[in-house]
Amino acid sequence: MKLVKILLLVCTLSFFSFSAVHEYYISLTQIEYVANKKSVQIISRLFVDDFENALRARYREDLTFGGQEETENIDEYVERYIKDKLTIKINGTKANFTYIGKESDIDIVKCYLEIEGVERIDSFEVTNKLLFDLIEEQQNIVKTKINSNQKSVILIPQKDTAVLKFN
Amino acid sequence: MNKFSYFCLSFLLMSFAIHAQEQSAAKKGHTNTNKFKQLYDEFSTPNMFRSASGAPGPAYYQQQADYEMDIVLDDKNAKISGFETITYTNNSPDELKYLWVQLDQNQRAKDSKSPLIETSGVAPVMFPNAFTKEYMQEPLERGFNILEVKDESGNPLQHMINRTMMRVELPKPMKTGDKFTFSIKWWYNINDHVMEGGRSGYEYFPKDGNRAYVIAQFFPRMAVYSDVEGWQNSQFWGRDEFALPFGDYEVNITVPADHILDGTGELTNRKEVYTKTMMERYEAAKKSFDKPVLIVTQDEAEAAEKGFSEATKTWKLKAENVRDFGFATSRKFILDMMAVKIGDKDVMAVSMYPKEGNPLWEEWSTRAVASTLESYSRMTFDYPYHKAISVHAKQQGMEYPMICWNYGRPNEDGTYSDRVKYGMMGVIIHEVGHNFFPMIVNSDERQWTWMDEGLNTFVQYVAEQDFGEKYPAALSPEDKHFPSDRGPAKMIVPYMGGDQDFIAPIMTKGLNTYQFGNNAYGKPATALNILRETVMGRELFDYAFKEYANRWKFKHPTPEDFFRTMEDASAFDLDWYWRGWFYTTDWVDIGVKDVKKYYVSDEPNAYMKKIMEERGIKKKQLKPLVYLVEEGSEDFKASMKKKSLLENSKPLQDYIMDNFSPEERKSIKEPKYFYNVTFEKPGGLVMPIIVKYNYTDGTSKEVTYPAQIWRLNDNEVSKAIASDKEIASIEIDPNEETADIDTSNNSWPRKTEQNDFDQFKEKIQG
Ligand SMILES: [Zn+2]
Repeated sequence: MKLVKILLLVCTLSFFSFSAVHEYYISLTQIEYVANKKSVQIISRLFVDDFENALRARYREDLTFGGQEETENIDEYVERYIKDKLTIKINGTKANFTYIGKESDIDIVKCYLEIEGVERIDSFEVTNKLLFDLIEEQQNIVKTKINSNQKSVILIPQKDTAVLKFN
Repeated sequence: MNKFSYFCLSFLLMSFAIHAQEQSAAKKGHTNTNKFKQLYDEFSTPNMFRSASGAPGPAYYQQQADYEMDIVLDDKNAKISGFETITYTNNSPDELKYLWVQLDQNQRAKDSKSPLIETSGVAPVMFPNAFTKEYMQEPLERGFNILEVKDESGNPLQHMINRTMMRVELPKPMKTGDKFTFSIKWWYNINDHVMEGGRSGYEYFPKDGNRAYVIAQFFPRMAVYSDVEGWQNSQFWGRDEFALPFGDYEVNITVPADHILDGTGELTNRKEVYTKTMMERYEAAKKSFDKPVLIVTQDEAEAAEKGFSEATKTWKLKAENVRDFGFATSRKFILDMMAVKIGDKDVMAVSMYPKEGNPLWEEWSTRAVASTLESYSRMTFDYPYHKAISVHAKQQGMEYPMICWNYGRPNEDGTYSDRVKYGMMGVIIHEVGHNFFPMIVNSDERQWTWMDEGLNTFVQYVAEQDFGEKYPAALSPEDKHFPSDRGPAKMIVPYMGGDQDFIAPIMTKGLNTYQFGNNAYGKPATALNILRETVMGRELFDYAFKEYANRWKFKHPTPEDFFRTMEDASAFDLDWYWRGWFYTTDWVDIGVKDVKKYYVSDEPNAYMKKIMEERGIKKKQLKPLVYLVEEGSEDFKASMKKKSLLENSKPLQDYIMDNFSPEERKSIKEPKYFYNVTFEKPGGLVMPIIVKYNYTDGTSKEVTYPAQIWRLNDNEVSKAIASDKEIASIEIDPNEETADIDTSNNSWPRKTEQNDFDQFKEKIQG
């Protein structure tokens, strides 16, 4: 039931049915370059219910996060989805990241990813399409801390990529 | 040393703190681009309708539209029909040849242009039903069917429909003070607001076959005619909401006999439509100030779900001085009420919800309504109506006078997440709050979304915090206060620091903004919250905000009326704040760029030595002077650190001994440390610099330099700080109250922060 509800909301409501107030569709991805470890550390926070619906729509209708009922191999799906939707280019080259794991925190799932062996960053490009396939109003906030520069950007379906240059 | 060179030297000393100005080769003039320039170019000239103070002027007028309506709901076919008589009063000094009537339902019509202005793309994955609807189905029959438009004697009136606007020709022009009465007969198919969207419509419950209706913008409504817009007949595209004149309403609504209904206005035939038991419970509710009393219980509502009565009942509602009318009706509705004291009046807080809203709704809806009325009344004026209703409707959040619909549905097993719970409380507070903005302080929503959404979201934040304090049980154990997502400064940082291609100034028509929610709700609410907490202070802000609300209640304000009133009532020049926050997309970023530490010395420092050399001045020619020596520079001696101020400078000691009595010397300050602190401002917005000086003895001091510090240099300013304590560190905006988008330059020395990544990685990988 819930699945149908969300998908209907997504696919049938254009912004014209925007009511006076609506629910928030937001994710937060924090990216930090730790130079002495040559590591780019990434934490993505997504709402459990939105994320669950996205995975269900794509992979399996019974996927569930959290507690006793958590689907056993849910990490595989999380990894697949995130690697599909989050792309990072460092110095112009696509970077591979390792999926470290995830943890649930009441309404939120935190996913931990890492890019290792990063000697230096002159340019950094992040494309974050998480949940854009499901929710038209989704906004993905990306906060970066690279070479002692902090940046916050909101990525939206019309503008899903941010490019940072450091020289 | 001759007089002349001494004069030159004093001049040099005076200009010590002034930066050398480089003149570029191609010199050019410029207009006044100072950020503190008054808004004469942006504001219209005050006139007899609207005063320079921001108050309604001596010739202020507004039109009046009174309605008498008979409405019939056909539940079986989900159709609604009505016959309405409008009496329109022309209070304007202008002669009117025609009237404009709004037909909002036509936005849903087959020939609506709304879908055509949307760009679209092929979605990579879709559910079959959504795909079918998008690509395979004919649009549904929606929109108004206007059967007749007639004058008082029943003669047809010439009229023309341009999409969502209908022009009605007047038999003879209306002069000032004239009234004109005419009637419209109409019907339309009601939309399923869950499947088709929309601010009103019905939700269908397949399990019991019932519908719950939330009905609004359901009748042809008069447009606003005003001194600023003439006729506000900008089309309803679906986003920008409504502009409506005030008037009195008498509405009879006929629905199935087993429905429970409520709407805008006094229910004048309560005894006819309530059972005896309901009347008794209602009387009890009027005396219950601490908890809601059920008028219709869940058991009774569940029994009614099975009824499908063929008989009908007519509910009669009468409202005075409202700008709109809405109602909700269903046999599924549970109904509860409690009383809340507002000023010397008792107001009824009311909730209507299907059982699907429980257990959340019976617990919190009515309490949230009551608490909202108290908070908003404190911030503005006493809620003037006799009731406020919160109706539960899936995925809705929409306001009308005295009634609103709100989302927040538990799972089928009655459990709910924090997001659903706080979402439900937040939306109720928001929509009930809309009674004040724009239902009473009746701004033009079609043009300025932020005037109602922004102001309302700002007060919503205050009301949510009140609600959390009043009902700690409403909060989850880990929350110390209500987790408001709009209002606190730092919540708007990602938006304001984001891509400039997708940000529009607040002063933009809603239809043309990117990120509507951030633009029209979040940013103005945050701007006002910062203005209140950080720039003006609560006392000045609250008085002025209240003054605005009171000046414009039951009237039609414009943005300028708000901006002007806030200044008029506070003696606080805010043109710079409006200009920056409302007219531009600039952001806040202020940092501490550089800190230099100085000691006092009686030996000429490098600066003076250079002058002496250039002009051939000998040391003994110099008059006694106080020199400042930077720590670590060639003039610096470690011994300076140990000595007191006067020990370090003989000329200073002599001057004090010669010019101050022993009594006066006692009260003289003797700072030991001298700092030159340079602040930078990479952000375009001018804001006060909030600085926390932390001293080595563990104490600290917070100083706020008003925004005007940036008036002569928009990029960089510095301050000489004399202190008897040594500064250990400096923090800018230590409480994150300015929405500073980059905090990496906010501290000296620069801070390194820890994140929780490594911790998690260790936990996982051991
Ligand atoms: Zn609103």
